[in-house]
Amino acid sequence: MTKKTDAHQASFRDPSGYMFYDGKTLRRAIKPIYFPQYNKLKDSGFFKNLIANGLLIPHEETSISSEEIIITPEEIPFITNPYEWSFEQYKHAALHTLKIQKYALSKGFILKDASAYNVTFHKGKPVFIDTLSFDFYEEGTPWRAYKQFITHFLGPLVLAKYHGTEVFKMMQTHIDGIPVKLISSLLPTRSKLSSVLYPNIHLLAKMESKHSEDYKAETKIATLSKKSQENILESLYDYIKDLTLKEASEWGDYYSKTNYDEAAFEAKKTLIKEWIKPLSPQKLIDVGGNDGTFARTVIDSVPHIIVTDIDSNAVDYNYKQLQKNKETNMLPFVCDVLQPAPGIGFNNTERNSLIERLADYAPDVTMALALIHHITLSGNVPFEKSAEFFASFSKNLIIEFPTREDSWAQSLLVRKREFINHFDFYNETEFENGYLQFFTIEKKETVKGTERLLYLLKNKNHEA
Amino acid sequence: MNFLYFDPGLGAMIVQAVVAAAAGILLFSKGVMYKVKSFFGLTKEKEDTYDSIDVEEQDTDTDDKKN
Repeated sequence: MTKKTDAHQASFRDPSGYMFYDGKTLRRAIKPIYFPQYNKLKDSGFFKNLIANGLLIPHEETSISSEEIIITPEEIPFITNPYEWSFEQYKHAALHTLKIQKYALSKGFILKDASAYNVTFHKGKPVFIDTLSFDFYEEGTPWRAYKQFITHFLGPLVLAKYHGTEVFKMMQTHIDGIPVKLISSLLPTRSKLSSVLYPNIHLLAKMESKHSEDYKAETKIATLSKKSQENILESLYDYIKDLTLKEASEWGDYYSKTNYDEAAFEAKKTLIKEWIKPLSPQKLIDVGGNDGTFARTVIDSVPHIIVTDIDSNAVDYNYKQLQKNKETNMLPFVCDVLQPAPGIGFNNTERNSLIERLADYAPDVTMALALIHHITLSGNVPFEKSAEFFASFSKNLIIEFPTREDSWAQSLLVRKREFINHFDFYNETEFENGYLQFFTIEKKETVKGTERLLYLLKNKNHEA
Repeated sequence: MNFLYFDPGLGAMIVQAVVAAAAGILLFSKGVMYKVKSFFGLTKEKEDTYDSIDVEEQDTDTDDKKN
């Protein structure tokens, strides 16, 4: 019998089973109430085919007893949540869910829930991670997870189309999806003319309020043929596939706007490559890594790379490149360092905060290039505070410090206007003083042809 | 055999009949339009990274036979 050391905080909602940590390994226990489903899913080859098609996270059966079955899913190095996805990623996750539901239906099963948290990104693609989300299909029943699909996927995507990807952050405050009524009220009136949006959102909102007081569950639910349900899935699939953001992609090719020339750009790349090599990292994170340009210089030698950026468009661009190049070891997601994703849900632990997840991930190398002047000058974060942030999860930190002479740092300083004197601390000495509280300086060099310094810092608490 | 561990929403269950009807009409008309367009050679293959909604079936066929 496996010893259950620590139940995972995210899996209490489903009575079919739960996740737990067995030492460092995450396993899933299945309770007898779900045995019939599990056995059928396994014996019919349903799981096998979903896994073979890369749709479901692979798992191994660890133990079987009459009280519970334990399975061990493949490890996912880092879990991203819906409010951290770019538009393209969100779309992909939605399509992924529809695809699985349609396939399940054809095999006599359904997805009993359609939570966006059942999907995450792994090996460059979306993957379904809740192995126990399947149930038997009963002929003629409508899809019970339909509303959840709308509140978790269609709603946020359509709102993003009209209002931008900032809308995804609403998922932080609504763990079970954006309420249908709210989605409906936030959409422009002309969306009522859409043959997809009218029934799936506006009519749904109306029907939900109309039947919200049926406490005794007296209203009869009309049957829905399998073909009809397939039609719903297909039309949603077609609609979501063609969704685009209304705001023109503002990802204005950051690197064409750099204040240094091609040679300096290459010099920076070479320096980073040289410094990273002897560290032979297994895991690397590039915070504020834009479209992954710098992280890509080491993509062949580092097994797992995370690239975050505040700009959803840059993450989107990175994600598209990933798909195009079929890269499997890079994970891009949206993150604002000044306001990292908090822990949300029941006890504030159902979905971990970014800080907790980063500490668990424990990257061997952290890169923060062209970022510190934004944190310090736009966010007014003192050096020792940002140093503390990086030290909470980094072993080695490669950080770029644009000096006061750098044109971008200057432009940020000038914008302080009469308060510019309050920022006299923005200089090399103060920077080093702040960071030396948590790190030691291993290397320090000026990037050729620029006013920027590159540091390799080592965390004092991680000395080998 | 359903373990209803969250409320699917009654309105959402009822509305699906209407949604399905609308979807049926939409898909049918799209199909007709596609046929018309391809008759006049107006269709073009779109380049994207999305697959179709359908899952490859090779493995399953063999697995199903075992049962």
